[in-house]
Amino acid sequence: MIGAGKYLYLHITRERIHNQGFFLPWELIQMEKVFDSHSCIEAGILDNALVMITVLGEKGEVIAWNHAAETITGHSRKEVIDSNTIWKELYPDREYRARITGKISDILKTNNYFENLETTIRTRSGESRIILWNTKTILVDGRKRAIAVGLDVTGEREAKTFRESVIDNAYVLITVIGPQGSILVWNKAAEMITGYTPAEVIGRRDIWKKIYPDTDYRRTVTQKISRIIAERNYFENLETTIVTKTGERRILSWNTRQIGSAGVFHEIAIGRDITEQRMAEESLVAYMTEMTMRLSQPVGIVSTTLLETAELVKAGLLTSEEMVTVLQAQARNTAQIAENIREFQTAIVEKNGSIPEAYRKFLEG
Amino acid sequence: MPDVINQQELEQKKIFLILASPATIRERNIEIIREISTLGYHTVVITTNFPYSVLSKLYAQKGVSLDRVSFIDAVTRNSIGTAENIPRVVRYINNPANLTDMGIAVTEVLKEYSGEKVCIMYDSVSTMLIYLSSANISKFIHFVTNKLRLMDISGIFLAVEKGLDPMLMMQLTTFVDTVVDTG
Repeated sequence: MIGAGKYLYLHITRERIHNQGFFLPWELIQMEKVFDSHSCIEAGILDNALVMITVLGEKGEVIAWNHAAETITGHSRKEVIDSNTIWKELYPDREYRARITGKISDILKTNNYFENLETTIRTRSGESRIILWNTKTILVDGRKRAIAVGLDVTGEREAKTFRESVIDNAYVLITVIGPQGSILVWNKAAEMITGYTPAEVIGRRDIWKKIYPDTDYRRTVTQKISRIIAERNYFENLETTIVTKTGERRILSWNTRQIGSAGVFHEIAIGRDITEQRMAEESLVAYMTEMTMRLSQPVGIVSTTLLETAELVKAGLLTSEEMVTVLQAQARNTAQIAENIREFQTAIVEKNGSIPEAYRKFLEG
Repeated sequence: MPDVINQQELEQKKIFLILASPATIRERNIEIIREISTLGYHTVVITTNFPYSVLSKLYAQKGVSLDRVSFIDAVTRNSIGTAENIPRVVRYINNPANLTDMGIAVTEVLKEYSGEKVCIMYDSVSTMLIYLSSANISKFIHFVTNKLRLMDISGIFLAVEKGLDPMLMMQLTTFVDTVVDTG
């Protein structure tokens, strides 16, 4: 009989598989010992394992099929035992099945086991699950048996895909720089902003020369970064101007963090393209200057005109009709000034959204 | 007081930007008209602040011969609705923001004085800012200065000295030949 220690062993193994993704040979030897005893199988050790474990005969027929295998595939032990038809059920696509079979055959030409073979099975309910397979061939009562251990990594793979998708689809430039300064990650936004594809950047260190082609400016940026990093290992909202592959200038705001452990550190750098924001701010400032001029200058003129008119009236030089004309003109002017103030207020409240397009173009030269 | 407009430059059909304070801009207007009238020029004044009727009185009061001045008035119709044009004296346009009408008026009035010593005076860029953006003013002044150069006519633009947007100021400076800051 198998003691409690054996159960513990399989539990620990699964934990470790989660972390490392494969069995070590000595672990398979341990399993071999467990499976050496037919009574062990009968005793239900396999049923308590948290990974899919199956023992196969020479023609691929299933000799053992644990509870996890039932849970993962949806196929009961009764359905699969003493038959090799399960593989057609798990790999219903003939082409895919042929590919997997070919791959296994290739591996078995040189080894009597395979490690970390990833396949996608179809469960009874039609769901796809990603299984990481490790096998070992053993002899039981003089007959060849293959122990196949399948770890369901669907969740992990989905999480990994999701993480990669988040990084890739983030609206900000994300790059990870390795300890030697080479680029490990270069997401879609990085490509979109700089014009350089991951293929041109990943594994290399020269991207910085490309996006900061001016030697003096590059030196200034490098010195600034070195100074900040020396103080606190990261920097926040550091603004630099890069030159894209097409020669366009873009302003980026950078934030970095150091990640890693055991003396191996990576820098994750996030760059937000703030070019439009900066341009909008400049437009807003220019618009405010313009509107200030359009308010202060006319107010001065209206005031002077009214004073001059008063002098003319005092001197008896204006007819009442002329007086009316002047006053109405100034009333219209002040009404228009009030309208301009309202437009100005709206523009400020809505930031730059309502700055008339004509101003923008004019201000942009 | 020295002349605001240099006679030689006027003869060379130069285009001037005259800067003055709000308190003195009217005074500068009258001084310039007096100066160039004395030099035998007929001045077409485009007024966007004081109506023709009042401005002509001010000129007369300061001894300017009204025979040598005619007006494009952008104020009166905008204030009281209707006013009839008086040939070779005043031409009204409906409102100071209508640059198309103003452009047509300038073109037609200058044609009337074709062959004569004529000068155009625009009073003022600053008042136009009530109705128009820098961009539109800049375009209009570009149009007028081009027309003046093509017709070989001198032009004077009056503006309040301080507070002009640097961008507009830069553009105006580009369009004119001489900037005179009268303080």
